[in-house]
Amino acid sequence: MFLVGSFFLFAAFLITTCIFVIFSKNPVNSVLFLVLAFLNSTFLFILIGAEFVGIILAIVYIGAVAILFLFVVMMLDIQITTLMFNIKRYIPLALLFAGIILAEIIYLTVFKTSKENLDTFIRSKNNTEQIGDVLYTEYFIDFQLSGIVLLLAMIGAIVLTHVYRPTIKRQNIESQNSTTAEDRVKLVKIKSGEGIKDD
Amino acid sequence: MTSLSFELTIGILKIFSFVVPVLVSVALLVYLERKVLGAVQLRKGPNVVGPFGILQSFADVLKLLTKENLLPSSSNKFLFIFAPMLTLILSLIAWAVIPISSTYVIANINIGILYLFAVSSFGVYGVIIAGWASNSKYPFLGALRSAAQMISYEVSIGFVIITVLICVGSLNLIDIVESQKNMWFAIPLLPMFVIFIISALAETNRLPFDLPEDEATLVAGFFTEYSSISFGLFFLAEYANMILMSSLTVILFLGGWYPPIDIFPLNAIPGIFWFVIKVFLILFVFLWVRATFPRYRYDQLMRLGWKIFLPFTLIWVVITSAFLFYFGLLPN
Repeated sequence: MFLVGSFFLFAAFLITTCIFVIFSKNPVNSVLFLVLAFLNSTFLFILIGAEFVGIILAIVYIGAVAILFLFVVMMLDIQITTLMFNIKRYIPLALLFAGIILAEIIYLTVFKTSKENLDTFIRSKNNTEQIGDVLYTEYFIDFQLSGIVLLLAMIGAIVLTHVYRPTIKRQNIESQNSTTAEDRVKLVKIKSGEGIKDD
Repeated sequence: MTSLSFELTIGILKIFSFVVPVLVSVALLVYLERKVLGAVQLRKGPNVVGPFGILQSFADVLKLLTKENLLPSSSNKFLFIFAPMLTLILSLIAWAVIPISSTYVIANINIGILYLFAVSSFGVYGVIIAGWASNSKYPFLGALRSAAQMISYEVSIGFVIITVLICVGSLNLIDIVESQKNMWFAIPLLPMFVIFIISALAETNRLPFDLPEDEATLVAGFFTEYSSISFGLFFLAEYANMILMSSLTVILFLGGWYPPIDIFPLNAIPGIFWFVIKVFLILFVFLWVRATFPRYRYDQLMRLGWKIFLPFTLIWVVITSAFLFYFGLLPN
């Protein structure tokens, strides 16, 4: 009873916050609602006993990804009225993605899952150990491939944004540390009446 | 129904038994900090209110409470008030999983260390929201600096935690402490211990890494616009976070509640005593560092985080796991 109640509570919160993500006028508020949505999905994962997945979701998405979103959105100078105009343009694309995700969910829940198997699998061991057991053995290729995809995305972003400017002054700490007094200061004996010779 | 309400009462009492000592030790830590700084700089420090000035922090809190709470007219009111609350809440809920002794802990969960890591990474939100909601330039710059700094140093903290976890084979904080019964991890993992303390300084925005609140360039950083009790909440949260990070250091590296050597007069003393003494020593290091080192420049801070700590900790993770694997010392 308690579990079912909490599921509906968190699920309702999740959907509400998602709606607010879309309809907030201020993008910063949207990102903050997105954080709440991530938090609620973490709670849902913990409710089904997948505490490792839930907390990793929180660390990665709330602790890093959403902070970077917030970081970027905060620095934009946004005209709120122009933002609201464009929302209709994206509706066909949004419906397409929603359709794909719905089809995937139906496919997975109706055709792929056998409930008894899942239950015995979940209850047999601590779920951190379960993931550790299969991640580098059964799913080794998939795991490495997803790593490579992420790496490519990161390198792509760096290549797109990085511009090498030769005029910029950079600090070379090694050369600074290895300088001695002799490199910088020279003791010159000056005879009286002659002054320093410029050489 | 009676058993449920009984358990609820016990739970609430347990929570108070953690929160109240933490808040009192925050007050005493502020006093200690001023005394230590005074001693380092050949001054007396606070010495008027109460015996040896020990009530000085309580007097300061009362002063803050009686002041007017100002709301900047151009700020986002809800977020402006929410940010300090969030910061303090996050620094207190982390105590739910900290084991003071082998039996005394509010929630002994399987993934305690990940929970702590998650909560400490949420700490950035308080700072960013405060900086943005103030709608003012210095808080905003402070918030940007803080976000970049905390994310950078979390990476190396993550790798340090992974190294310890490889040696333990469990994410449970009690298991982590119990596997240090014979040898504290500070000895075999000394470089990681040092990196963890330095990263903890950066993560709690303490000197020499207190660039988010750098008074020489940013007035007071992200809490420039805060006054009265909302400033007080940030202040409490910062010191509560210091105590939290010290406790985490003690749990990960200094053997938690175990005495230094397992012989008779030492192991007869209750574990909580050892825990508190070790936390106190780490806190003293925090204050000592503050009194000794000048502040880093921002690019130096980023270089230290990304170009020195990140490669070093990454290589150390590989070395540790290779060593444990080769000599068959891996747990389980």
